[in-house]
Formats: sequence, C-alpha cells, structure tokens
Amino acid sequence: MPTVKKAPSRFPNEISEIEVTRDVSKCISCGTCAKVCPFGVHERKTGYNRVSKPLSYLCIGTSCEDKPFYCVNHCPREALSLGVSSEYRTIGDYRWTRDLIIGTWKQAETGIPLKGQRYEIGNSGGGFDRISFNFQDSEGRGEMGGEDMARTSHLTPHTSGAISTEIELNKREGKKLSIKVPFYGGGMSFGSVSLSVMLAKAKAARAWSTFTCTGEGGYPEALKEYDDNVITQVATGLFGVMEDTIQRVKIVEFKYAQGAKPGLGGHLLGDKVTVEVARMREAVEGSSLFSPFPFHSVYSVEDHKKHLDWIKELNPDAIVSVKVSTPTDVDMVAVGSYYAGANIIHLDGSYGGTGAAPDIAKKNIAMPIEYAIPKVHEFLKLEGLRDTMTIIASGGIRTAHDALKAIALGADGVVIGTVELVALGCVRCGNCESGRGCPRGIATTDPELSKAIDLEWGAQRLINLYAAWRSEIVDVLKRFGMKSIKELVGRYDCLIENHEITQD
Amino acid sequence: MPKKYNIEVIPTPPRHTPIGKFEIERGADCINCGRCAIVCIYEVHKRQEEDLRSMAEPVVYRCKGCFSCIQECPRATLTIRDGTDYSRLGDSYWTPEIINTNWYQAETGKIPVSGAGYRGPFSGEGFDSMWTDMSEIVRPTRDGIHGREYISTVVEIGRKLPAIKFDSHGEIVSPIPSTINVPLPIIFDMLPFGRFENVYGAMAKAASYLDTFMIVDAREGFMGEGQKAKGKRQKARWEESHLIPYITQPTIHGFDVDWINACKMVELEYEEDVMGVVNEVKTLNPGTSISVRVPFGDNVAGIVEELTYAGIEVIHLYADLNGQTFGKSLIKNASQQTFRKSLLIKDMTQNVHRHLVDLKIRDDVTLIVSGGIAMAEHVAKAIICGADLTAIDLPLLFALECRYCKNCQEDLACPVELKDVNSEWGAQRMINLIGAWRNQLLEILGAMGLREVRRLRGEVGRAIFLENIEKETFDNVFAREVSHDANG
Repeated sequence: MPTVKKAPSRFPNEISEIEVTRDVSKCISCGTCAKVCPFGVHERKTGYNRVSKPLSYLCIGTSCEDKPFYCVNHCPREALSLGVSSEYRTIGDYRWTRDLIIGTWKQAETGIPLKGQRYEIGNSGGGFDRISFNFQDSEGRGEMGGEDMARTSHLTPHTSGAISTEIELNKREGKKLSIKVPFYGGGMSFGSVSLSVMLAKAKAARAWSTFTCTGEGGYPEALKEYDDNVITQVATGLFGVMEDTIQRVKIVEFKYAQGAKPGLGGHLLGDKVTVEVARMREAVEGSSLFSPFPFHSVYSVEDHKKHLDWIKELNPDAIVSVKVSTPTDVDMVAVGSYYAGANIIHLDGSYGGTGAAPDIAKKNIAMPIEYAIPKVHEFLKLEGLRDTMTIIASGGIRTAHDALKAIALGADGVVIGTVELVALGCVRCGNCESGRGCPRGIATTDPELSKAIDLEWGAQRLINLYAAWRSEIVDVLKRFGMKSIKELVGRYDCLIENHEITQD
Repeated sequence: MPKKYNIEVIPTPPRHTPIGKFEIERGADCINCGRCAIVCIYEVHKRQEEDLRSMAEPVVYRCKGCFSCIQECPRATLTIRDGTDYSRLGDSYWTPEIINTNWYQAETGKIPVSGAGYRGPFSGEGFDSMWTDMSEIVRPTRDGIHGREYISTVVEIGRKLPAIKFDSHGEIVSPIPSTINVPLPIIFDMLPFGRFENVYGAMAKAASYLDTFMIVDAREGFMGEGQKAKGKRQKARWEESHLIPYITQPTIHGFDVDWINACKMVELEYEEDVMGVVNEVKTLNPGTSISVRVPFGDNVAGIVEELTYAGIEVIHLYADLNGQTFGKSLIKNASQQTFRKSLLIKDMTQNVHRHLVDLKIRDDVTLIVSGGIAMAEHVAKAIICGADLTAIDLPLLFALECRYCKNCQEDLACPVELKDVNSEWGAQRMINLIGAWRNQLLEILGAMGLREVRRLRGEVGRAIFLENIEKETFDNVFAREVSHDANG
C-alpha cells in the first residue's frame, strides 16, 4: 500500500472551525502558551521575543477545555480566547458543508479518516444525506424495531482476516481488470484543470492501482508514463481523440452525457482556451468550446454498438465504459449499452461536479444518483445481466460513506471528482469557468495561477485522501461482518432511512 | 423558412453599486505588504491611489468568495463573512440567489453558468420537488442554444380545434377560431408595486420588442407609448399595442370602449356573471381575445370547466406572489385525516390541466399561469405541469435593480429609485432578462429532444417528480421485504 505522508495545507492560514485569538494589548509575550500547547498552535520561534500568531487550524477546540494543557487557562494575562472563526461560518453550502470541506482537507493532510456525522454527510436533506448505515454493533446508529433486528441478525462484526476493497471492472469475457479500491478518478479535461492536477491524479491512481480519466480535452504527453492507470475519454466533441490515445490505454470511456449538464455538451469558456489547450484540442485559442449533444452519429443502440466496435477494433483488449446521465429511462440505456458491448455502465447523477455548466441544468435536469443506482441495479437483475455488467456511480460522491451507500444501493464502485479537487484545496467557490479560471490554481490553465499546485504535494494529498477513504471503507465492512466490498453490492438491508438528520 | 426569432441582448450595467455576496474586513495590523492584491484575481484588493504605501478598503462587491487573500495574508488579518445586505435581500421565497441571478441576467443577457456542482438542497417545495428529464442516446436531440436546429418557443393563445372538417371538395368547413401567436411562453403581468409611468414605459417597450404582451390595470390609465398622440394615429398605435387591459369587476365598472375596440386581447376579472360582459366585449370587437382572470383557489378546476364550456378561450390562473394558492384546500394525509392547506401552483396547475384533459376539452382553452414564477426553470416546469404559458411580475422589477426590500410598501424611500428609471435602459434590462430566460428554456428543451415548447405542455412523462421517484425506488430499497442475495 502506498505510504501516507503528512501533506499540510499550502496556505499560511488554513481555514478551521476554531479561531484562537490573542489579545495583543494584554499579551506580555511570556511564551507560556507555546510551552503548554502540545499541538503547536502557539510558537515562539527561536531568536524572537514575540509569540507568533496562533495557528488556529491545529487547535483541537473546546474539547481542550478540561485538559491540563489548555492554553486559555494557563495564560497569566487572560489574553487568549477560543471562538468560531468567521471563515468557518462563511465556507460551504448545502451539499458540501463547511465540515465536509474542512474534513476532506484534514484527511488529505493526514490520511486518517474522520469520524462523526458531520464528516460523513452533508446538509442537503435528501438522498445520501438522509440515509444511514444499519449497524448492529454497540456503536450502531440504526434505530430499528424487532422485525428489522431479525432481518439483519446475521450481520455480526468480525475482526479477523484481511478485508478486500478490490472490485472487478470487467465482468464479461475478455481480459480481466480489477482495481484495489472501489473508486477511480473522474474525467477532468486538460483545459478544465491544470496539467499538474491531471498528473497528481494520475500519480495517486498509480500508487493505489486504480484509474484516473482524461476528460474530453485530449491526452497530454506528460500523462503517457501513467498509461496503465489512465482512462481515455471519447466525448461528443472528440477533442484530442486519436487512434494512438485509444490504443495505449486499458479503459476507454464513452461520455454520452455528464450529470452536471445532462443533455448539454461540455462547456469550456473562451478565457480558458489557452494556446496549449487549443493545440491539444485542435481548436482556436480564446474561442469557447461547446461540445455538441448528443453524439450526432448515435441515434440508436445499433449506432452505439458501431462506436464500441470501432474502439474494440483499434484496441481489442480495451474495457469500454459508457458514461451516461440519469434520465427516467436510464435503466433501458444501461441494457442498451450492454447489448452494444459495454463492460461498464457509468451513471453520472444530476448533482455532479463540473468545470462549467448552466445553473439551470445543474439543478433541474435528470435525477439524483441515489435513485438511478437502484433503478439500474434492479433492472439489470431482472434482465439477467447484473452479473455481466459493472455499475459505476458518480455525481455527488463526497465521502467514503457516500461511496459505501452507493454500493449498498447497487453500484459496484464509484467515480470521484469534486472531492479530489477539494483535497487539493478547492473551496467550492464555483468560479472555475470564468476569466483566468480557478483563483486557487486548480481548475485553470493560466500559466501564473496553475503554478500554485505542486505535482508531488498534490499527488501526496490524493494518496492520503484515498488512504483515509479506504480505512473508512474497511472499517464499515468490518462492522457489517463482511470480508469484501463485493458483499455490500445491493445490500439495501444495510441502509436505513433517517428522517431526523439535520445539521446546523 | 420563417425568420428565426432572436432576442438581441446588449450588456446594460446597473446604476447602483451591486450588493456583494461577501464582506471582507481588513484588520488593524495590516502591514500593507500587498500580498492580497497579488493573490486576488478579482481586483478586490488594491493600493490607495492617493497613497500607494497603504492598501485601499477592499472593493467587496467584487469578491467571489475564493478565500485566497484570507489564507495568504501573512498577518492573517483579513476576515471574510457573508454579506449582511446580501443575506437580507428578498424573503424565503424570493431568495437572495434568485434576486441576484435575475440581476445578472438583466445586466448581461447571459445564461448563468458556474463551475462546481449544484450547491443547494436536495429538493424542496413546489417546483423544487421536480426535475426535468433528458434524452440520452436514442431520441434525436438538438443542440440547445448552440445548435443549428431551430427550437420554437411560439405558443398560440386561443382555442384550438381537435380536428378540422372538410367538405367533398376538400374545402375546410370548420370555423377556425382565431389565435394570437406569442413568440415565447412569457407575458408580463401586473406589478405588485413599482407601478410608475416610466416602469410601465420600460415594460411596454420591452413587450413590444419581444412581441409579447403586458397586462395593465385599466383603472391606471396607462395606454402605452401612444397615449399622448390623439386621433386616428392613436388608434393605429393601439392596434400594434402589446397591452392587455385588465378590467376589475367588469359587471359594475364601465370601460373605455374605444380602447377595448383597439386591443388584441382583454382580461376580465372573474365574476359569477362574467359571461354577460364577455358577450358585450365580443359584440364591440369580435376579433378580441378575452381572457378571464381566475384565482387559484377552491374549486378552480370547476370554474375553469364551466368557463370553458361557456366558450371562454383563455383563462389566466393566478396565485399569490409566492406561488401559493388563495384560500386553503381540503387535503387528506396518509392516515386519511383531512386538513386545510394552501397548495402551490405546481400541483394546482396539474389538477386543472388533468381535469380538462379528462373532459377532453383541454385544447378548447389556453391556460396562462402566474404567481411565483421566479426563474427560467419555473417557466418550463409550469408548462410541464400543464400551463400553456406563464405571466411574470417581480423578475421584471429585479431587472430594474429592485431589491424587494418592501420599503415602498411602507412608504419609505426606494433604494434604487424605481420611479426615476430611464425607460430605454429599463427596457433593455428586461429584454436581456427575457433573452437569458428564453435561452435557458431552449437548453432544457434541447436536453429533452423537443423542438417546440408547445409539445412540452402537460408532458409529465418528461419530468421526474420527487414523490413518485422516492416511492418508486426507495419503497423497494427500504421496504421491509428481505432479499439476502448479496450480488443480486
């Protein structure tokens, strides 16, 4: 397993819940706080008289109150106080709450999963945020009557033996392919994100023996050393798609639609089409690139099959994934894809991430992934195809818990995207699309801004995040008494609906 | 091929400093190092022009909440918080986000586009409890606003025949009722406030440019741009007029016969014996379309049925400003207890539409729905629920920078001085807004593979309703039926 190494925030002031305030008019720079705090919140650098500004994000908060090293109690001049920071109150939204963002940062820094509801679910009031695990052990949160207890009494935790998080991506004939963790990185094109972000994702994918995806903007040269862990995407714009890019990879992804903008093509606004991006996409610098919708060569399952045959002709060993959005007939689409020869049906739910999409599309078109997964899972079972198709879900998978819930609802694994960017320091301000792109240097190809993400640091953050997710997944499986993630697929009985959950 | 309907949008900046989403405060221990000015790409932070040694006050309305300056400041002396004025905008229905997005569209005429995923609640009340569908692969779809295929947003106001009869010579024998074509399913409704001459002037100009209609209360005497010109000329202007005079209590009040004579359409307040007035107007001007304005409330479906059978061709169903119906309807809950509750136009429109479909008279009448139409998505969703077209009110005021502070309702000063709005400027802002709304409608239609908005009406099959999908999927998932086969 890849090594987890601490990868702290690249900012001098990391945002955290707690703000430690030092009243400089009272402080006499005695340095007591620096001596007592074991977490390094206070520091008096050698050669300095004054104590540095408190590093609030290292503080453990009010739980420190009864500890012998609580700085507030030790300060002889009562110059220190704890409070909730203004940044903490400002950051986050319903889907990605402040705690989910900050929690993801912490996991990317340390590689250790965070426990507690606020790090596991968001505040959207529906879908994953209203589903809990039906644990039967002493810590269990499920509240059930006798009938339910009887139904799940076979679920007894076991602690011995290794727990596998490996999943198969190809259940049909042909070359077998599996990944060691039940998730892989979603498509983000060169243009929507910077090259170092793409490379960091690829490096983390290689370290964890999983995959990352190019998105629809072509296959940058620098990505070639990661060929075995890269999925190349063929989307409606066919930007940067060449025979060579299809032949060098193990998985080819057909993007019919994207959850954040179902029924619409990709959007890359003119400002982000820099010289390099334009060259890669064989387009004109500065001109907005709107991919068409749908594939204008595909109006039937037969046309769809023709596309897949074309891929298999070029690369006979390739696993083909078909990425679709979630309309009401998504179950039929999944079956159609099977008959066209797809190995993976990748469902991208309507609340998924994007570099740019009309707000009206993000909120309104197609259904959330929570509904689409059981719909497709059940239908494939009815058709007798569930054992030959791999279902991959995406579009709003924010935490390891979301991933586990998606699997229990019937998916084999998940694709993640936004959470990777959050791990790299995204605050979800939503300004990826305009002007120079992301002000935090992630979703941008601006030569100046994109320097902000160092490849090694970024890869380590993602490796850490994956490690945290994997531990959490193992932990949950252990509590369910399962030895493999594959046992969780479609286990509705492991989930309960929780109407009571509210936050804030 | 007919000329494509196109709304030309022209960027039209606001007159007042915008209200920012965030507030940024620079602390006293700033060392004027200028790091914030380097990391901010939105020019919030700048040095003082008169004294370059110090930093200027942050230009907060430009802040987009990226936190870069906050996190990069070597003294950690910058603070960010949610904008107080911003979060106080509007109310719980007309949220700050809705007002702000309408401002943006009125300024730019562009569809609001952003990065990252959807940020809001999973679902909500009314229109927030439904999603529109899309077609994936098999149905031929158009490219929305970027495509070459023309998607029509024309709606016809008036009665449509279910079938046309021909005689033995192949000549049409059915009398074809006249209809009015509106190039988009949006007309302007009466305003709840801000009823100033210049605001009406802006609305009239925009309605005329867009070739749609605006409803004006006949008592207020606004007769459009041509009212000052007298004589024959006046009548000519009226015929091109895009005004729909609204007559309250028509059985009691008189009306300006000349004016009614000249208008393409008239709206009458619903009263029990409204048919008498309808016939009177019809006699005066047989070419006039008559709409009866009926409140969404108890027995609205029955009233609509009765009016339709009586020969009314257009019915304007209105709810309150927040899209709630008037009065409380009797509802039965799961345990068969009955209680009274206001309904939302999403459900009431469906009820009326279905009732008419069941009676096989749906195409005898055009339904205009209004009340709480706040965003482009509401237009599409109201049509899916069964409306032919919608009428809007508050968003037009937002186009004029209205903050919905409700000061005017308490006789306090309007912070954006609505009554001083220049009509040309206001009209362009409204045109921009409607242009952006229409483009969003095209995006939704394109995603569904529809080529005209008329086909969207009542197409509940092209929508996903929360209560249905919850039941359909989660009843099975959380049903207490046990299925232990692990891999299915």
